[in-house]
Amino acid sequence: MCGIAGVLFKTQGAHEIGKTLIEMLDGCQHRGPDSTGFAMYGETRDLLQLRFIVPTDEAARKDAVDNIASLLARHDAAIESEQSVGCSYQIAVRFDGDLLEFTKDIEEHAKLVSVGHTLDIIKDDGTAHELDDLYNVGEFTGTHGIGHVRLATESAVRPEAAHPFWATGFEDIAIVHNGQITNYWKMRRRLERRGYSFHTDNDSELVAVYLADKLSQGETLDSVLETAIEDLDGTFSFLVSTKDEIGYAKDNLAAKPMVLYETDDMIAIASEEVSLNRLFPGQSINSTEPAPGTHQTWARSI
Amino acid sequence: MGQIDLSQVAITAANQKIHSLAADGQDIEIVNPDARHNIGVGLVVDNPVTVRVRGSAGYFCGGLSDGARFEIEHNAGWAVGDNIYNGTVVVGGNAGAIPGVAIRGAEIVVRGNMGSRAGQVMKAGTLCCGGNAAFMAGYMMYGGRIIILGDAAAKVGQDMSAGEIFVGGKIESLGNDTMIVDMDAQERDEIREFLDRFELKFDGDFTKVVNAGKKLRYAKAEPRHRPQPFFVSSKSSNYWNPKVQEDIWIKGEVGRYRIRGYGASKPVPHLNDIAFARDISTISPDPEELKDINLKTTVGGRFGAKPISLSMPVMIAPMSFGALSRKVKIALARASRLSGISENTGEGGMLDEQRAEADQLIFQCLSGRLGWNVKDMQRADAIEIYISQGAKPGLGGQLMAKKVTPELAAIRGIPVGIDLRSPSRHPDVLGADDLVIKLQEFREATFHKVPIGIKMGAGRVNDDIKIAYKDGFDFVELDGLQGSTGAASTEVLENVGIPTLAAVQEAIDGLREIDAGDDMDLVMMGGLKDGVDIVKMLALGASCTSVGTAAIIAGGCIACMQCHVGTCPVGIATQDPEHEARYDLDKQAMNMHRYFESLRWQIAAITRALGHDDVHKVGRGDLVALTPEAADITGLPYRPEHKTDHRPLTGLELLDRKAG
Repeated sequence: MCGIAGVLFKTQGAHEIGKTLIEMLDGCQHRGPDSTGFAMYGETRDLLQLRFIVPTDEAARKDAVDNIASLLARHDAAIESEQSVGCSYQIAVRFDGDLLEFTKDIEEHAKLVSVGHTLDIIKDDGTAHELDDLYNVGEFTGTHGIGHVRLATESAVRPEAAHPFWATGFEDIAIVHNGQITNYWKMRRRLERRGYSFHTDNDSELVAVYLADKLSQGETLDSVLETAIEDLDGTFSFLVSTKDEIGYAKDNLAAKPMVLYETDDMIAIASEEVSLNRLFPGQSINSTEPAPGTHQTWARSI
Repeated sequence: MGQIDLSQVAITAANQKIHSLAADGQDIEIVNPDARHNIGVGLVVDNPVTVRVRGSAGYFCGGLSDGARFEIEHNAGWAVGDNIYNGTVVVGGNAGAIPGVAIRGAEIVVRGNMGSRAGQVMKAGTLCCGGNAAFMAGYMMYGGRIIILGDAAAKVGQDMSAGEIFVGGKIESLGNDTMIVDMDAQERDEIREFLDRFELKFDGDFTKVVNAGKKLRYAKAEPRHRPQPFFVSSKSSNYWNPKVQEDIWIKGEVGRYRIRGYGASKPVPHLNDIAFARDISTISPDPEELKDINLKTTVGGRFGAKPISLSMPVMIAPMSFGALSRKVKIALARASRLSGISENTGEGGMLDEQRAEADQLIFQCLSGRLGWNVKDMQRADAIEIYISQGAKPGLGGQLMAKKVTPELAAIRGIPVGIDLRSPSRHPDVLGADDLVIKLQEFREATFHKVPIGIKMGAGRVNDDIKIAYKDGFDFVELDGLQGSTGAASTEVLENVGIPTLAAVQEAIDGLREIDAGDDMDLVMMGGLKDGVDIVKMLALGASCTSVGTAAIIAGGCIACMQCHVGTCPVGIATQDPEHEARYDLDKQAMNMHRYFESLRWQIAAITRALGHDDVHKVGRGDLVALTPEAADITGLPYRPEHKTDHRPLTGLELLDRKAG
């Protein structure tokens, strides 16, 4: 019930990641009219950047922001800057402790959606262009990013249920996912026994935590994706991004569409070719459809 | 030659222009296609015109067209050439998943590689690929040929019923129930001729894959047995009862699940567990007093298409020509016209006589695309895409061998005499996201003129109804557990799905949760038997209802539950001429018509007794629940005292009053 898109520019520099993803997601907005989200990677900052979803109502928002301040205080994380926009509250903090413990505590009391030194996740109800109007997504520059459009079936469309999902506990990792994981509860219980907590019943959150757990054990993104295809049951096409890489995995039945196009300079992946073609209007591009049960990763030059 | 620039013109306007240029006999060039969906959908021409796509096309390019030639210079997305009867599609580059899905005679050539499930449920024609084919080429194909010059990935010909697959390269693995056989010289010559015609060079030899014939029919058919009527078997205990005993006997013979007709027979909370809040014993027997009660109902006007127009909130439920005999389908169509309601084709195509008799005809599109074609779409009053039905949510239709006669097989494009098991899902709808594009294809094919609905069995209604709404359907036909069928396994009939009462409540709740308003019409079905049920259903929140079992019973069905056997003693559920001859079309059409008129009188009388002048004004305030279960399901106030004080009149009692 969604569309996905990802792009990575292989060379360093301030590429128009925001504009690129807006175009691609607008191209497949028919796949998910309710909410849109972006996970984008810019330059590496000294400070840890956190983004929270907070109520838009003035009074409730103030309570939420005060609550976040007291949470951070008890972990000795000093807020260096803050910005409040749309449904989100973004801060930069100085923090040197154990990130897993820190975020676990915060997540129990606040809606934390993005954590990283390079990553920023922006997601909300509305279309790609509507999010751009509010959050200036188009101004974001960097090297790579992934995005998502979603059709929601829950009672109220809530921004925190939108993709991308941050890999709880691990900075600079995000995923977008089209499909469903049918062994969700089995895999979730397995991860919960390893100490992870889940904040939604969304199977995409599970994919993010699953991948992050494996990465934290020192595996490469490539080998993690290979294992994911074996471990995760269901129909899925998902994209994962880390500080330096993006990758995809596709289930053995290839029930969910995905096409990709690679040049010497960039790699673009999307649910439908119409999104890729948005980047090359009027041209015929030699896109390929990945085979079922395959995965691949690409890294930016460092 | 006309030119259309898709960077300037939206797809609907572009398709209109394609149609008008083609009508003038002009070839058409599409520039800046940029992989947009539904290019050329619905194009029906007598004179061969060519549509040249200068670039890549998205999903369904050339889909639901007839007679034209499409040349796509570069790539094509999913389902290129969907369902074409006659015509040609040439893809210069690669094609995505399910190229040539459901074709009935087209020639589809993909010069590059093609995606998975190529030629799924194709019936006739040729699908040819110059490169490699992804997995499950020829999945569930019923006929025609697939030529693959390169390699074929896993499970070639999986679950194919007929047709031939020729592979020039390596075969990774064969699908189940397939085998490799020798080719004859004539086949070689025919392939050579085809390749020459499309300038495809190939010097190697082919491996020919066909169906092995081991799974086309059940090893053992259900035995004929002394009919045990539905209404006998379902009474008394829901634990040990005559039906359970019969099920066990039959399983002892066939060694698998039992297949039968009709629906769930176990007791579940239903409309009997709800009563009217007001005493309706004041009901007037005088037809004169009822003539001003408004019963007129329209369905499907959400986005400006011409809605289905009904004289009362009743439709005839979808039932196929196949499950039912030709005469019955004609009788239903006639009765629908006489009563000013709608008839529905069900699976398996539209009959000319049915079209002529029915005033309002809904054309149903199922997963197997059996008898589905653009010309009938364009003469229907509404289109309905079938996802599932209340009797067997999640499963495809079943039509047992006895009913798959040469005539029926020809209409559906399948081999004669197989136990037909339709696919459980649409080849091109694997999620709500794909469904949006499919819906758009249907709108393009019918020029946005007729309503497009979705038929769903009641499962996860709360989610499904939201998807239907957000995807933009004009109406939903929602079928509860009690809905009947011509053939399904008894365990599925009894156990899969949720009761109609729970389904309507979940649907209403789901729509309210997303502030959907009431612009998408909700047609409820599954065990509705009289005007009392219909008014209750409308009061619960449905905008219309649909009756199937009740209509068939009015038209002569004796409810013996052996619809699947094909030797229906009254000529209803049969394709056997000898049995069909027993059916008195003229008489039974009038019986059904009179039954529908009894519904009309009941609906009007109850509406008036409840104090309304319009059936669409009845509401939840008019209802109470008689049991704790019904109160829990519906949220209606629990008023057990109404069981005795204000017991709703049965249909018969109402008719007695009318008579007396």
